[in-house]
Amino acid sequence: MTRLHHLHTLEIRNLSVRAGGVEILSAIDADIRCGEVTALVGPNGAGKTTLLLAILGLVDYSGEIRFCRAEEHGRGAPRIGYVPQRLDFDHNAPMTVLDFFSLSSQRYPVVLGHSRASRTAARESLAQAGASHLAGRPLGKLSGGELQRVLLALALRDNPDILLLDEPVSGVDAAGEELFCDFLDQIHSASRFSLLLVSHDLSVVSRHADRVICLNHRIVCQGATTETLTPENLAAIYGSGAHLFSHGHADGHGHLHDDAPAGPDRKAP
Amino acid sequence: MDVIFSSIYGVMDRLLPFAFAEPAFMKRAILAMLFVAPTAAAVGVPLVHFRMAFFSDAIGHSAFTGVALGVLLGIHPLLTMVAFGLFVAWAITLVKGRTELSPDTVIGVFFSTVIALGIAVISAQKGLTRNLQSYLYGDLLAVSEIEVVWLAFLFLGVGVYLFLAFNNLMLLGVHEGFARSRGVPVQALEISFALVVALVVTAAIRAVGILLVTALLVIPAAAARNAARGTAQAFWGAIGVAAASGLAGIAASYSLDTATGATVVLFSAAFFAATAVARRARRLS
Repeated sequence: MTRLHHLHTLEIRNLSVRAGGVEILSAIDADIRCGEVTALVGPNGAGKTTLLLAILGLVDYSGEIRFCRAEEHGRGAPRIGYVPQRLDFDHNAPMTVLDFFSLSSQRYPVVLGHSRASRTAARESLAQAGASHLAGRPLGKLSGGELQRVLLALALRDNPDILLLDEPVSGVDAAGEELFCDFLDQIHSASRFSLLLVSHDLSVVSRHADRVICLNHRIVCQGATTETLTPENLAAIYGSGAHLFSHGHADGHGHLHDDAPAGPDRKAP
Repeated sequence: MDVIFSSIYGVMDRLLPFAFAEPAFMKRAILAMLFVAPTAAAVGVPLVHFRMAFFSDAIGHSAFTGVALGVLLGIHPLLTMVAFGLFVAWAITLVKGRTELSPDTVIGVFFSTVIALGIAVISAQKGLTRNLQSYLYGDLLAVSEIEVVWLAFLFLGVGVYLFLAFNNLMLLGVHEGFARSRGVPVQALEISFALVVALVVTAAIRAVGILLVTALLVIPAAAARNAARGTAQAFWGAIGVAAASGLAGIAASYSLDTATGATVVLFSAAFFAATAVARRARRLS
């Protein structure tokens, strides 16, 4: 899926993040290219979410995050869409999906009604996400899969250059997961943005990602998915007990067991 | 100002041709309540969304110490009450953002420290306790015209604040990182909201007293969210419940000879109970 000319690239150079005297990320070098799905994998606490937060500018870091855009495709700072891992909000909150969309697209308070522009934008992006029927539903009453569709629709509404998805398939049933991933593929082939995806699910990664970055406080290895997700590399990031295997269930998805202690870091060529 | 108030009283005579609304002190009480209760309820909507009921309670109780300090220093207790409430709100918000303790622990520490300070001051000053009665239980019927004007300004000021900040407040209540990623100035918003809450709480103490002030913010918002589907319904519903129970409470307290603030709170509690039952019935059906 590599293309000759990338519309834009996010270049991460020598990025380090420290918090409370602990180095969470050190010397990260990576490129996130437009039109590609890049998956970020690694054990719990490896700094995956922190890397997303650094890209969003929500944590202090040293090093550089450069956004390079080809001249003919506009200029200025990139628009970054973000779908958080989970929304920890009050599930009785009196807020419909449309209310939630309008909170960030109109200046005047949503209690005075929804502007026509925010209605139209919400309707279009919900339709694109196959979630039109959810517009009037209370946000707190959506299932995990429905909520993720809504969040994705919201992120796509603002036509992002880079879309960051934190664990997009966590808390979703197998059918919802399948749907979600097909949908991602569809969006991804039709749009001109780059997608950075944090996932624990290596079967999702192997099916949908063009490139993989294996992270454990520093980059263990990165490259094209097929070349990077090798048993040796998996052992290096998750420990020697890690392997891709199929559950006996009907869903047949590979899940990674990462309960084995982390093995020695290894850098791929 | 006399001209303005006498024409307002004239309008009220026509709108409320009842015995309870006849005396001028009752008219002032009704005006004060109709400014302060909807203001408190409007602020209550994001407050409940943020689960900050305990915070507003702590600010309410800090007023006790603010009044004691005012009497001790010979400054008007209303001024020291508001100033001290703002100070405590600012301090709690600042400390909360810089420790890893949970918010309710931070508020609990401030709450008890402030009350202890108040009790220490009062116990050293004999004869102060009588002064505190009207602050503990509220003294709506003694509200002056100038206080009504101040409450009207508070009503307008909070209206402007919510017009500008409401969407961002609700977004922040859903997910902080998500709100930040959309450019919401989180810290400025948290501090400004804490100060607005402190201002509204200390103003509402005049109406219902320290012990009940949180009810004025929390109960209408909680009642409305029982019945509401969307944010607009929750917001206007809370304001409607506040205004209706304010008026009904004043009327009932006049004929029953009960404390005004407490009667108003009982009416909004009745709204809460009714909407909670209706919600349950709707879910079961």
